[in-house]
Amino acid sequence: MGNCLKINNSDDISLLQGGEISNTQDFAPDQNDPAPIYSELLQPIFFPSPSVRRPVSHLTEEEQVKIAKRIGLIQHLPIGTYDGSKKSRECVICMIDFCVDEAVRYLPCMHIYHVHCIDDWLMRSLTCPSCMEPVDAALLTSYETT
Amino acid sequence: MANMAVSRIKREFKEVMRSEEIVQCSIKIELINDSWTELRGEIAGPPDTPYEGGKFILEIKVPETYPFNPPKVRFITKIWHPNISSVTGAICLDILKDNWAAAMTLRTVLLSLQALLAAAEPDDPQDAVVAYQYKDKYPLFLMTAKHWTNVYAGGPHKFTECDLKIQRLKDMGIDEHDARAVLSKENWDLEKATESLFS
Ligand SMILES: [Zn+2]
Ligand SMILES: [Zn+2]
Repeated sequence: MGNCLKINNSDDISLLQGGEISNTQDFAPDQNDPAPIYSELLQPIFFPSPSVRRPVSHLTEEEQVKIAKRIGLIQHLPIGTYDGSKKSRECVICMIDFCVDEAVRYLPCMHIYHVHCIDDWLMRSLTCPSCMEPVDAALLTSYETT
Repeated sequence: MANMAVSRIKREFKEVMRSEEIVQCSIKIELINDSWTELRGEIAGPPDTPYEGGKFILEIKVPETYPFNPPKVRFITKIWHPNISSVTGAICLDILKDNWAAAMTLRTVLLSLQALLAAAEPDDPQDAVVAYQYKDKYPLFLMTAKHWTNVYAGGPHKFTECDLKIQRLKDMGIDEHDARAVLSKENWDLEKATESLFS
């Protein structure tokens, strides 16, 4: 009991852009004793599992492999342009309507999302946010059948 | 707050306001501040449960990383339920943790909490004392949950026996809410409750 709400506490600060922030090299108050808080804030942040966030230097080797594989998988998911189809009018992540010719990513279940919206989500969890279908399992079977 | 979080919440707010559940007064939602980071939810206790007839207020905090992370939700109204802390209102529900998905909304969260009131999961408790009572002394659990719903959420069932025992402890200088909490924990055994208060 009581273990339920703790995991969210670390997500208070905005880390969405974490992966894109480049390290600010000149912020080093003491070379021999690198302040862990600063380095954590300036490093790219990754999510080995949805509720676990870690700066890149704190990832275990196993987690690094996991994340590298995940990035590889995401890059294999096809990107297309929105054709104005009435079936999916909005990206359910940002809830904004698609524009014709806008870049969208197709998941194996055929749900589509803005590329930046779904990539942010997939870096945390390899499931379709709409139907919960695991993206990696579907991808692996599609590799086998082709 | 990050732009996506704000624009999502604004859209969701409109959506939930048009929903059928709002029309039926089974859920409610209102804004607490202008920055769209804090909202207040309300759910009606589901029929055929000890929470029936009660209105339960929820604190909803939207993280900057929303919708990639779930909103932080807690019961403000005191409630006696195995998956909700009787002290802090903290909730144990999978979609508010690891089973969150970016397509879920405030509306789905409120409806899931309503479903949780109708179907407790005592094997995955947030409040061990309540869960124990639920599993071991179910009739007492029902009475306690109805009594709390009556006192804190405006439910219809009054239990004179409970009120009398609380009054006895109040006469000894104990705060009413503390008295209720201790008696609930001690399965309404006045002697044991007194013992645990004064030992
Ligand atoms: Zn989007
Ligand atoms: Zn899908």
